Amino acid sequence: MELKLRNEVVNRLIDIVGVDAVISDKSELVVYECDAYTMQKNLPSAVVLPGSIDEVVRVVLLCKEFNLPIIPRGAGTSLSGAVLAIDGGVMIALTRMNKILEVDPRNRRALVESGCVNAWVTREASPYGLFFAPDPSSQSACTIGGNIATNSGGPHTLKNGVTTNHILGYEMILPDGSIEWFGVEPDGGEDVEGYDLRGAAIGSEGMFGVVTRALVRLVKTPASFKTFLAVFDSVDQASCTVSDIIAEGIVPGALEMMDQVITRALEEAYKVGFPTDAGAVLIIELDGLTGGVEQQASQVELICKRNKAREVRLAKDDSERNALWKCRKRAFGAVGRLSPNYVTQDGVVPRSKVPEIMRFIGIVSEKYNLCIPNVFHAGDGNIHPLILFDERNPDQVKKALLAGNDILTKCVELGGSVTGEHGIGAEKIDFMSKQFTEDDLEAMKKLRTVFDPDQRCNPHKMFPGSKRCSEFIVKKQASA
Amino acid sequence: MLIKPDSILKLQQLMVDADKIDQVDLSNINQLVEHVPEDMTATVQTGMLVEDFQKKLLRGSQWLPIDPPNPKEITIGDLLSANLSGARRFGYGSIRDWVLGMVVVLPDGKLVRNGGKVVKNVAGFDLCRLLIGAQNTLGIIVEVTFKLLPRPEMEVNLFKQFQELSQAEENLEKIWHSDLQPVVLDLYRIKSQETTMVVSFAGPIADVETQAAELISMGFKSGISLGYDAAFRSKSCYSQSVLPSKLMSSLSGLGDMDFVARAGNGVYYVRENLFKNRAEISSVFGLEQRLKMEFDPLNKLPKLQLK
Repeated sequence: MELKLRNEVVNRLIDIVGVDAVISDKSELVVYECDAYTMQKNLPSAVVLPGSIDEVVRVVLLCKEFNLPIIPRGAGTSLSGAVLAIDGGVMIALTRMNKILEVDPRNRRALVESGCVNAWVTREASPYGLFFAPDPSSQSACTIGGNIATNSGGPHTLKNGVTTNHILGYEMILPDGSIEWFGVEPDGGEDVEGYDLRGAAIGSEGMFGVVTRALVRLVKTPASFKTFLAVFDSVDQASCTVSDIIAEGIVPGALEMMDQVITRALEEAYKVGFPTDAGAVLIIELDGLTGGVEQQASQVELICKRNKAREVRLAKDDSERNALWKCRKRAFGAVGRLSPNYVTQDGVVPRSKVPEIMRFIGIVSEKYNLCIPNVFHAGDGNIHPLILFDERNPDQVKKALLAGNDILTKCVELGGSVTGEHGIGAEKIDFMSKQFTEDDLEAMKKLRTVFDPDQRCNPHKMFPGSKRCSEFIVKKQASA
Repeated sequence: MLIKPDSILKLQQLMVDADKIDQVDLSNINQLVEHVPEDMTATVQTGMLVEDFQKKLLRGSQWLPIDPPNPKEITIGDLLSANLSGARRFGYGSIRDWVLGMVVVLPDGKLVRNGGKVVKNVAGFDLCRLLIGAQNTLGIIVEVTFKLLPRPEMEVNLFKQFQELSQAEENLEKIWHSDLQPVVLDLYRIKSQETTMVVSFAGPIADVETQAAELISMGFKSGISLGYDAAFRSKSCYSQSVLPSKLMSSLSGLGDMDFVARAGNGVYYVRENLFKNRAEISSVFGLEQRLKMEFDPLNKLPKLQLK
């Protein structure tokens, strides 16, 4: 699909943001043909990189004048094709608007531009003993605006909550060019009159408008941590441990699982001392005040042993702890060494069903003869099976799609969801009707109409029946 | 008109038939749908009283950590539609932080589900947060799934009285900048010259005891209930919200008026309406009107009341 911009439009975009901040040449646009979800690709008609709120507003107004789609984009780390230009259009990349405008330690808030990288917020806040809690694995690249669009999670959202729990307010430019501030204002109190438009637009996947600034909540850094690496012979033992910890009423800071394929790949890549013969490992991090952490640590060790943990290793110091987390966050990258292609699923099940879904993934792996390693937020019941395949083999592509379908369908059957943090985007459109009725979806569309009556903002996402990239259809046919 | 449906189906029918609904009494739609202690979640119909719901959760030694005034008289529906909270708000946040999913009857009678029953879920747009605090103006929430917490092993309330607000401020800043993790951080002055600061700790016994000891060394005493909050707020009162750092100067401006303040949140309650005409401040008025028109085009449900 190609939507070619008239020269007049390109020239006017250049008038607004300057010639260096407009990309309209095909060879340069390729960088923006997809995000971290690579199963579908398409070129936007142009990419603009505005440097101020005023420039964003003027670009949006120009798009309105010419009835062009707008695709807001942060760092492009979405795993669901959330910033894919399905039908062309003007992509507004916010990476130049990346400043931290103010850190207010007394009120535990920071005001940032939406292109600000997630990890920078914590970096700036940490001298005050504060941090920004949502910590997606892409946090060294992904932006706060992108976090708001997808309501991002991360390992430490188990205890602290996800993005919506940590965004006090933000500014959004609506597709009609109006500038709105939702939620708590930069100098305002935390109670806000009227409807919670802030909450309503978090997780709207860039379909409501372009976020330009955000007021984020900062949380006190815990006084003490205890981080364990628990080693198990089987995935089943590790899964049961996860359920037992939650059922015991312990809420760890993070509770992550990695299976053997993942630990082997990580060990090969980074040599951190993971046992390569273990069926699965858990990273269990307790945080809080010293006394309580000690008390919970002995409970956790007991539960691990009860589930036949081979070893429960405590990170001796901050550097060991950081090494563990660095490794965990690089896991997806390490898998790239194992297989030419992989697709990551993001299903969620009730926490007590973790053992059941893990057994099911094992069955699916055998059924399609595909390797499906797992690295995931076990404490939340948020699974991330990575289905490995080779896109040059049409039969494997087909099987990979079917395997993903089986797993997500099972998540819904078990009372869960098809996405815990990656979003629907372009990828999981077909699953929406498995999880929601026609009336449920209609109500969501009503909300969209309020913000974007013309459906010009990040179109063709989320809802069944949306248009697809032409290339995707060809690929599907080839593999069918 | 006031309606009192005896089932969700009946409510759907009434919503279709009625021209105007002023109030919905859901006291007949009041069942616990499920409580899954091992998942730390529970699903309940919104006509159940908050206190009855909390009692049911005792079975798993769990609770919904939101403590609105008068839980014996208000329903889960009231809690949601008015976004109520109590003294423990500093420690546990507001009800928006604890809702995982809900079932709503829209003004056209349709039954709509949003969110789900799992603790992490980003499938679709978030209508749950929108409908919390929406005062039943866009739809009627009939069922809700909450994320729960284990009941704390121990909770201790401590207090200290001050002649001058400035002395209270000194103590407040000290606590704020320490490692202490209070779940309640309140100030109040009710029919008295003195200002009382209330600080509560909850959680594992070891943590609660250490933290309480630290406060006792600052001159705090134990032996106070959190009943002052409900006692003050059950009569007509008005709330104001400011930056936490500006709370003390706001309180100083009250003269000798009575107040209850969530010092950690920057929220305070007073008897008189000092904050009139704030409706005009709302900058997103146009969007709010569009929202109302989209969800309730025939204006069957009441209009949103701004303070």
